[in-house]
Amino acid sequence: MAAVKNAPQWVRDLKPASPTGPELLEQERKSSNVNVDQLANFLFTKEAREKKRKILKLLQDDKVFDKSQNYFAGRIDRFETALARAKALQKLAVKHGLDDDEKKIAELLISEPGPYGLHEHMFLVTLRDQGSEEQREKFFKPAQAYKIIGCYAQTELGHGSNVRGLETTATWNSDDKTFTLHSPHLTASKWWIGSLGRTANHAVVMAQLVIDGKGYGPHPFVVQIRDLKTHQALEGVHVGDIGPKFGYNTMDNGYLLFNKVKIPHISMLARFSSVDAKTNKYVRPSSPSLVYGTLTWIRSTIVMQAGSVLARGVTIATRYCAVRRQFQDRDAPEWEKGENQVLNYTMVQIRLLPLLAATFALHFTGKGMQALYEANHKKMAQKTSDSNTTRGTGPEETQSSSDLLADLHATSCGLKSLASSVAAEGLEVCRRACGGHGYSSFGGIGAWYADYLPTATWEGDNYMLTQQVARYMLKSARSVLQGQEPSNDTTAVLSWYHKRQDQGAAFDILGKDEDIVSAFAWRSAYLTFEALKHREEQKRTWNSLLVDFYRLSKAHSQYMVVKNFHETIATNNNLDPETLSLLHKLFRLYALHTLETESAEFFTSAAATVRQIQLARSKAVMTLMEEIRPHAVRLVDSWDFPDWQLDSSLGRYDGKVYEDMFYRANDLNPLNRVDIDPYPDSATLFRKNESDGLKSKL
Amino acid sequence: MPDFTDRLKPAAPDGTTVLAQERGQSDVPVDELAKHLLSNDDFLGRQERMLRIVEKDPLFNKTKQFNLSRPDRFKLGLARGKKLRRYSDQYGWDAKDHEMAVYLCDDVTPYMVHYAMFITTVREQANDEQRAYWSPKIDAMEVIGCYAQTELGHGSNVRGLECQAFWDPKAKEFIIHSPTLTASKWWNGTMGRTANHAIVMAQLMLPKEGSPGEYTSRGPHTFVVQIRDMKTHKPLDGIAVGDIGPKYGYAPMDNGYMLFDRHRVPHSAMLSRYSRVDPNTSEYTKPANPAVVYGSLTYVRATIIMHARLIIARAVTIAVRYTCVRRQFQDRDSKDAKAPELCVLDYPTVQIRILPLLATAFALHYTGEAMQSLYWNTREEINQGNFGRLAVLHAQSSGLKSLCTELAANSIETCRRAMGGHGFGGPSGFIQLNNDYLSKPTVEGDNWMITQQTASFLIKRMQAAVDRKGKPQDEIEGHCRQYLDEKNGYKPSQLRVFDRDEDIVEAFRRRSRDQTYRAHVARNEQKQSWNSLLIQLRRVSHSESQSILVQNFYNALQQKDSAVSSTLHAHLRTLFRLFAFYTMDSEARDFSRAKAVSDDDLDKIPAKIQELMAQVRPHAVRLVDSWKIPDFLLDSALGRYDGKVYEDLFNRAHRLNPLNEITFNPYYKEEEIVKGSGENIDSILAKL
Ligand SMILES: Cc1cc2nc3c(=O)[nH]c(=O)nc-3n(C[C@H](O)[C@H](O)[C@H](O)COP(=O)(O)OP(=O)(O)OC[C@H]3O[C@@H](n4cnc5c(N)ncnc54)[C@H](O)[C@@H]3O)c2cc1C
Ligand SMILES: Cc1cc2nc3c(=O)[nH]c(=O)nc-3n(C[C@H](O)[C@H](O)[C@H](O)COP(=O)(O)OP(=O)(O)OC[C@H]3O[C@@H](n4cnc5c(N)ncnc54)[C@H](O)[C@@H]3O)c2cc1C
Repeated sequence: MAAVKNAPQWVRDLKPASPTGPELLEQERKSSNVNVDQLANFLFTKEAREKKRKILKLLQDDKVFDKSQNYFAGRIDRFETALARAKALQKLAVKHGLDDDEKKIAELLISEPGPYGLHEHMFLVTLRDQGSEEQREKFFKPAQAYKIIGCYAQTELGHGSNVRGLETTATWNSDDKTFTLHSPHLTASKWWIGSLGRTANHAVVMAQLVIDGKGYGPHPFVVQIRDLKTHQALEGVHVGDIGPKFGYNTMDNGYLLFNKVKIPHISMLARFSSVDAKTNKYVRPSSPSLVYGTLTWIRSTIVMQAGSVLARGVTIATRYCAVRRQFQDRDAPEWEKGENQVLNYTMVQIRLLPLLAATFALHFTGKGMQALYEANHKKMAQKTSDSNTTRGTGPEETQSSSDLLADLHATSCGLKSLASSVAAEGLEVCRRACGGHGYSSFGGIGAWYADYLPTATWEGDNYMLTQQVARYMLKSARSVLQGQEPSNDTTAVLSWYHKRQDQGAAFDILGKDEDIVSAFAWRSAYLTFEALKHREEQKRTWNSLLVDFYRLSKAHSQYMVVKNFHETIATNNNLDPETLSLLHKLFRLYALHTLETESAEFFTSAAATVRQIQLARSKAVMTLMEEIRPHAVRLVDSWDFPDWQLDSSLGRYDGKVYEDMFYRANDLNPLNRVDIDPYPDSATLFRKNESDGLKSKL
Repeated sequence: MPDFTDRLKPAAPDGTTVLAQERGQSDVPVDELAKHLLSNDDFLGRQERMLRIVEKDPLFNKTKQFNLSRPDRFKLGLARGKKLRRYSDQYGWDAKDHEMAVYLCDDVTPYMVHYAMFITTVREQANDEQRAYWSPKIDAMEVIGCYAQTELGHGSNVRGLECQAFWDPKAKEFIIHSPTLTASKWWNGTMGRTANHAIVMAQLMLPKEGSPGEYTSRGPHTFVVQIRDMKTHKPLDGIAVGDIGPKYGYAPMDNGYMLFDRHRVPHSAMLSRYSRVDPNTSEYTKPANPAVVYGSLTYVRATIIMHARLIIARAVTIAVRYTCVRRQFQDRDSKDAKAPELCVLDYPTVQIRILPLLATAFALHYTGEAMQSLYWNTREEINQGNFGRLAVLHAQSSGLKSLCTELAANSIETCRRAMGGHGFGGPSGFIQLNNDYLSKPTVEGDNWMITQQTASFLIKRMQAAVDRKGKPQDEIEGHCRQYLDEKNGYKPSQLRVFDRDEDIVEAFRRRSRDQTYRAHVARNEQKQSWNSLLIQLRRVSHSESQSILVQNFYNALQQKDSAVSSTLHAHLRTLFRLFAFYTMDSEARDFSRAKAVSDDDLDKIPAKIQELMAQVRPHAVRLVDSWKIPDFLLDSALGRYDGKVYEDLFNRAHRLNPLNEITFNPYYKEEEIVKGSGENIDSILAKL
């Protein structure tokens, strides 16, 4: 923040009323002994944090990344700037040899989706993973060098979730060995495709493969869509940007239509399935399960990111609510004059502190998923290359790591759904907790929230995904009923419940951490067997059970989050005892607050008694909040967000909330540079700067 | 430019056919219902008249405004504000007409606070002489005003404002002063660029007799202050004023900041209907009964609720129409492989997000209406200083404001997400709606904070009931006494909520009284600190508000003399029950604890809700049609009356999107950004 310039001296002399933000935050940091550095290293590793500092420096030194006008510009200017930044970042990456990880860090610091986003994260990956050797040479290499810039075009105007219902066709022409891409209806138009609208010159297009009048389902094709010189759309291709959105306005999500466009045989990505050009026959996919692996990995990233996405809002709101003071405490003695920090009001705490706990919960869960995935993936890859024998006689272990992966795959759907919903909704809670100033763009939460929202929809709509979890849970429950041995955590939980069902639960949720985990497991298992009963005994239709499935998936995912959180801290020895005990409190706060919100299910399943739930609400949660409150600022500090990344007046590390609000309003705000004519009887609007007529822009 | 896309049609069945089918399968009497909901004050007639005028004026074309930068949005807002005002003059509109036009154009104008808070405050707080002076100037819009209460450091806590007004008995002037940066006025609409006058809230500082240089504060008072020159429109000397910058929404509004450097204003600046400083003796007269404002505040809150119902209706209109047109997947249990895909509104996970909200719009309607008619019916009494029922309603209205704006704000987002990817797009009609409406949970009393007022009132009534002195002072105390009398004899099985609607009402009331009683015990008997109870107090307030919503909905259905046909009545009753059970389910344990509903019954509610949703489902389109929200207001490709969802989405992307007029250079090795324009990285730097 620079000093205020654009104002008379008496304004520049003004200070905020005391105690000031910096004083308050200093006091906050003094009153807690959380070892911020240690906790931050535990969350991210020291190396990652150092990398972040290094890259931050690079970005801050380049003026194109300056954020000060971001909140003011219109869509077109924002997009142009985003393109300039994308180019500059790629140059930096080449110049300094940044690897993929480092580029991702840079993107997080810049914090706006850029027009190269889908090229980097979907196009390149798809070419690498689904292209044949020859195709990699032809497409992947030039794409890496940014000669080819691409996107991933699956979703259409009429279909998103139901990929099998896509309408774009790719018809095989046996005479000249080409495919014809065609959009038979308006609803076949590709839609929402990131980087497509204005940037890409190629696309991976998902289209229904048709050979000799017969459909083979959706397959990926690499298609050039724009001229490499003029950047104009090719003949028969119709492409553009879909217009402004809730967020993501620095990205050119696009539409795309084909009018009988011919593409060569090599266009169909052929690693897994292909059309034999000689025989004109379809060659079946080899192992489709590899693809599931990638999806599981992507979802685990979403879960882990959800933690830090949310942490950003929690950091801003917590710091601001520690600086913001409003009213005296109603019960305060007469002589205690000062106003109360709003973070002291339990009404504010109940919104922020459980979310603070959730940031850790999600982060640890994502980490846990990734560890499990990597371990078992390696094992499986090892085993399949070791023994080229057929399955069946294979060692027990092969079986179990694949079962574990299947488990992880199914449950990752539920966790993606839960985590991204918690993060999205949590951000809005944080914004509202900031009162009026939360509504200002300078608060820094609103735009961040708007950009995050699509995560609830893509990679599987959050409601839709829960059906996959339910399907898997029902299958697992059936196997337990058939007496099969448990082969992973889900079946273990289900069979444990099944055996204990008649003994009852009796968990000491207020006394023992392990028992909290058990109570969550119990409720999930209960809902699973209930759903199974509805489906199998009562023969209810699938559709009529969707709401039950949704609840089941949520319950099971919450169980996994609680379990991962618990395991992370139960086995930890990298943290000093005080910090660790604070994490235990956060664990309990997360778990008991969740339990209390979902109390009806805990009660109905008999995982907890009415009395326990009552005590959790009125005593345990309140006490935990009181214990965590003094450490709130240091806990958010350990998320280690540079101010440059937050770009928020309210969330500044130094607490200069009011100075920064004023500086941005007064000095950075272009509206204050125009003089207006306010009177309705005069047609003049801006007294200066009248030339750019408004009509032409409408 | 014509191209091959002009010939393309959406895949069958197209939206128009689908919606026609939906409308064909339902017997909801759309026009009757519309009249039932919207005939007060000739709402429908006015809507139609105003629509005809604004719809054909290109200045109010909404499709491209979302692309504009903040200064351009403001400029557009100002142009629209001026235009509407000129229409008012031209067609002789009254205030209601103008309001309707603004509502249809769906964009705040920079004049908003002038019309609302500024005019009202002068009317209510100026004495006769002041009124006579200001009113003609205000009406002619020579004086354009704003309302400057909130400061950078204080909003909710008005007593904590820092801006000061020192009385100078010699000069007979007030000196307005901002001692700190946090004393800067902040957030005040219309002030940033537009207003030339402001109502300024400042601590009235009177000289202490006998100790020169010392002052006593008399608390916040209102002053009318000229802030900009009437010719040049530049800020007056000693005043720094400007716009506070972009926000989550409200782009065309110039919310402002303002600081004073010992700025002098005449004695007449202080609005003196209720309190005044004698210019000769410097004597201070206290305000009379502050309860005078009850009436208008209650009215304002009723308006907020009536507005909230329209917000929900609008969100639900779009969501219902789109989820009928949208098809995705075949029915899993269907044997027919060729069957068309299901429309997504047939999935219960979609229904559960949208249909209870449809019922909520009705619930809010009846309560808003009840509050308004109570206000009109008791105006005479109010003028005579007799509050009675209105005092109760006033206390309850804080809680209602909190709950209803919360419901409306959340409904927007719930509906938007229920629509999948297209909900995120500009053409969904949800973006500006979300951005603008989300200020409501904070303004006019922060939603969390003000629940304390309702709870505090209720706890006092419960205490009075416990003390039991003489006759109950009001209805609430009466209910509290009844609760205390019956408390020990409750059996949850007493109430048969599935069979008798009046038992639903009773269950909600019992649960609310139970919440109040528990809070009373915690505060008054166990002496727990206020702060430790805040979360519980919010529940107390929400329980009461939910009880009021259910009660008023129920009452409306009982009205014997009403002209509602039996067909319509049956639909309304289904919606009533859906709203009540949905609300009950989300608060189930409260009802159990209050012994208002048995655990067995509570376990059955989810199935009941699903059954009720199945009953509403075939009528959903006609039910939303009945709210008569014009396409012009919806401004949504997804929610169009005619169902041409995909055609409109494509039209907006392809033909109405300025970004598509530009060809960019995508290669990172080249500095050029826009092809052939000379626009490159350096020229972008100049804008940063
Ligand atoms: C910002 C953004 C960027 C995107 N980028 C890309 C991209 O680069 N490439 C790309 O290919 N796509 C992209 N997408 C598209 C995205 O993947 C889809 O929007 C997403 O898959 C959801 O599909 P949909 O929009 O068709 O939702 P729909 O399926 O139409 O969902 C509508 C509603 O119906 C419900 N529903 C649907 N089916 C069922 C069912 N069987 N049972 C119960 N309920 C159901 C859903 O829960 C939802 O409430 C992007 C989307 C956004 C918003
Ligand atoms: C779009 C917009 C337009 C506005 N227009 C105007 C205008 O024209 N004129 C004008 O004067 N003002 C205006 N305002 C200001 C508005 O009235 C205030 O923002 C509002 O009153 C909330 O106050 P605050 O911002 O101080 O919130 P705060 O009180 O600072 O709230 C911060 C947090 O603390 C909590 N909190 C505060 N006190 C307590 C307590 N005692 N107990 C428990 N929790 C507490 C709140 O719940 C909230 O979560 C506008 C605001 C907005 C967003």
